[in-house]
Amino acid sequence: MHIVKTYVHEVSALKGELIPIVCPYCGVGCRAYVKVRGNQLNLEYATDIENIPNEKGKLCPKGNTILDHLSDPERLKKPLKAVEEGKFKEISWNKAVKEVAERLKEIAKDDPNQLMFLGSARTFNEPNYLLQKLARMLGTNNVDHCARLCHASTITGLVSTFGAGAMTNTYKDIEQANCIIIWGHNYAETHPVGFKYVLKAKERGAKIIVVDPRLTRTAWFADIHLQHYPGTDIALANGLMHVIIKKGLYDKKFVMERTTGFNELVKVVEKYTPQYVEKITGVPAMLIEEAAITFATAGKGVITWAMGLTQSVHGHDNVRAVATLLAICGYIGREGCGASPMRGQNNVQGACDMGVLPDVFPGYQKITDLEKLEFFKKFWKVDYLSDEPGLTVIEASYAISKGKIKGYYVMGENPVISDANSNHVIKALRKLEFMVVQDIFLTETAQFADIILPAAAMLENEGSLTNTERRVQWSFAVKKPPGDAKPDWWIISEIGRTIGLGSFNYLKVEDILREINQCTPQYGGITPERLKEKLAGIHWPCPNENHPGTKILYRERFLTQDEKAHLAAVEHKPPAELPNDEYPFILTTHRYVGQYHTLTMSGKSPSLAKRWSEPLAEIHPEDAAKLGIKNKDLVKLVTRRGEYICKALVTRRVKKGVIAVPWHWGANVLTNDTLDPISKIPDTKACACNIFKIGGEINEESTLH
Amino acid sequence: MKKALFIDFSKCIECRACEVACEREHGKSHIFVFEFEGMIAMAFHCKHCEKAPCIEVCPTNALYRDEEGAVLVAPQKCIGCMMCAIVCPFGIPELDSVNKTMSKCNLCAHRRAEGKEPACVATCPTDALLYGDFSEIIRKRRETFVKKAMKLGKESKKALGFAFI
Repeated sequence: MHIVKTYVHEVSALKGELIPIVCPYCGVGCRAYVKVRGNQLNLEYATDIENIPNEKGKLCPKGNTILDHLSDPERLKKPLKAVEEGKFKEISWNKAVKEVAERLKEIAKDDPNQLMFLGSARTFNEPNYLLQKLARMLGTNNVDHCARLCHASTITGLVSTFGAGAMTNTYKDIEQANCIIIWGHNYAETHPVGFKYVLKAKERGAKIIVVDPRLTRTAWFADIHLQHYPGTDIALANGLMHVIIKKGLYDKKFVMERTTGFNELVKVVEKYTPQYVEKITGVPAMLIEEAAITFATAGKGVITWAMGLTQSVHGHDNVRAVATLLAICGYIGREGCGASPMRGQNNVQGACDMGVLPDVFPGYQKITDLEKLEFFKKFWKVDYLSDEPGLTVIEASYAISKGKIKGYYVMGENPVISDANSNHVIKALRKLEFMVVQDIFLTETAQFADIILPAAAMLENEGSLTNTERRVQWSFAVKKPPGDAKPDWWIISEIGRTIGLGSFNYLKVEDILREINQCTPQYGGITPERLKEKLAGIHWPCPNENHPGTKILYRERFLTQDEKAHLAAVEHKPPAELPNDEYPFILTTHRYVGQYHTLTMSGKSPSLAKRWSEPLAEIHPEDAAKLGIKNKDLVKLVTRRGEYICKALVTRRVKKGVIAVPWHWGANVLTNDTLDPISKIPDTKACACNIFKIGGEINEESTLH
Repeated sequence: MKKALFIDFSKCIECRACEVACEREHGKSHIFVFEFEGMIAMAFHCKHCEKAPCIEVCPTNALYRDEEGAVLVAPQKCIGCMMCAIVCPFGIPELDSVNKTMSKCNLCAHRRAEGKEPACVATCPTDALLYGDFSEIIRKRRETFVKKAMKLGKESKKALGFAFI
């Protein structure tokens, strides 16, 4: 009979001591302590650790509630097997692991590309490394994770301009900048603790330029707010570059010595005069000119961006345009400058670094590079590794519909809520032959699973995490997982071992990081011993154990083949969907400061649920008056893909013609899953929609038609 | 030494971390964040007034001031008459319906006893909430303002070719 192996689980510190952890929510990577007294856990602010991302141990509302979900009664405690859709019976770990291993092996035997693996940006580097190793050793590159839905275009865009798909600087550089452009990024709400660095810069006299279709809380602090229409970012970036080039404000030395493609850029931006851009974006020409001059003459500039820029059918080009704007001003490779894409999950940077992507091995080593392929064959002691790039998240759900994917392994993700056009995802998941979900709660996605594997929550487990600044930090375990729940790395390791793949033989999570050190050049010197000692973490690239880590990238050269930045000359193209008579509004999505993504964790906290209890669709007062919509009226949002009912909030936060709705509660039934051709990110941030008031007056409305 | 909780509303991002942290410490929040006109937000809490009407009016002397200047309720003396709530110009004291006593912000007396800051201050991500010697906080504010003015002066010199200061 098959017997699962035990593992070493240490609750790191002695009782009564402070256990250092990393917050399990966003990409800032805040440090905190947990104090254990008997069964009681208490959160303490990490006021005494130097140089951590959250100075003085400050935490946002979500950070204050990180212990709430751990003890929730709905936690998964036993492996479950589906009796029918959404109904489960408990089984043992022996049976669960055996069944998963056998089914995966069986499907892989026909054609490994019938399998799809979804890694998780919410768990440590180690299980993510193991998941892609499992997929690749089974013979497929169908492995991806939710970075596809958030920063996929940042990775492809920055790789093609600068050579590496990560933030080029640290939070400290934002503090030192003289001008900060915050582009499509509600910094104050999505990364509240990181926003302090912006305020510190502002206090010093730095100018803040916010580019956002909504008047967000971030825009409250702006010196210049460029409120463009969703999906017109390239036009705006080109407009800014037009002014900078026309007025000769670009960094001529930097452009000449360290970039290529400037002449094409000049040609393309020629027609993007502020007046022309005003027509496309709705931003007054005067403001565009002022913003361009302010940014180019600041001396030290940073651009931060997030979903507003990336979640677009032109996401790849958007990122390249913004990176080009930085490069022509010479704001790369020195203190107080840089490109700062802000990551949304605590370990989305790490999951990307670990190669949970369909086209790269750990450390962004291309699977198509024969030398790397041979290295990993030897390193993992396997005869065959595929060099054919695999499927991405959204592509996979279409492949399932077509019957091309039969087995789906989901680790700690919830695509039913998080994927654009989620109605389609649900339809697809029903078609699967075999689906495994490994999670801490019975999520909306887990309802469709055949086998559910109960995982330890991040804080019940230890390992390394990489924050948005490329800073790798170690988080310790504060308690044992409830019931039979097990750490992610143990589960995948057991499945790998049971399938019969050699080298899945780990006793401790540290063993896995040591293996990562050997095959990921950027992580070469980031050993478990160093991380445990240095709580403030180490910034990759860190090639060997004596290397202090690298805070600023591209000081001397870019990581492209010719070592220069490749400027992008891109034309404005409209979003995939434009408003028409049937769908006269543009719909965009956003989030609340006190809720997190699909609510799996933050939704369990009473303090958060009380304050951020429901989605409110924001609509401009003039549009609302035309439709007879008042505050708190129930409204129905309709797009070509679905309908969504919620309450309305009449506010000037949005422009006329724009509707904005938070997506935590499932508004992705509305959004568009048309993909960016290069990064394969869906166009989540702009689609055509209509809004109807429902309730008492709906009959009047319908008689009009 | 007299200390105070100071609110710099120009830095408030309405994240409500102070409310959540306060609720974590006290079971319910004694600090409240309000947004005005969709353009600005501010946290609001007990001001621990110098001439506190609540202390003056309390018939059982349940309200008192500690050595750092915080106004506290001694629950064993409180009879829940709500006089303090009536005279408070800010509407701060509330009736704790379980214990039948008044409850209000005590600037986290238990945390201060351990040498820590009140929870709302310890968590505030943008330092919009500050706790310390009041005159020191005000002095820092003046300093920040003067620094900014000097910078503006330098810039105008650059732009206009002469100095204002």
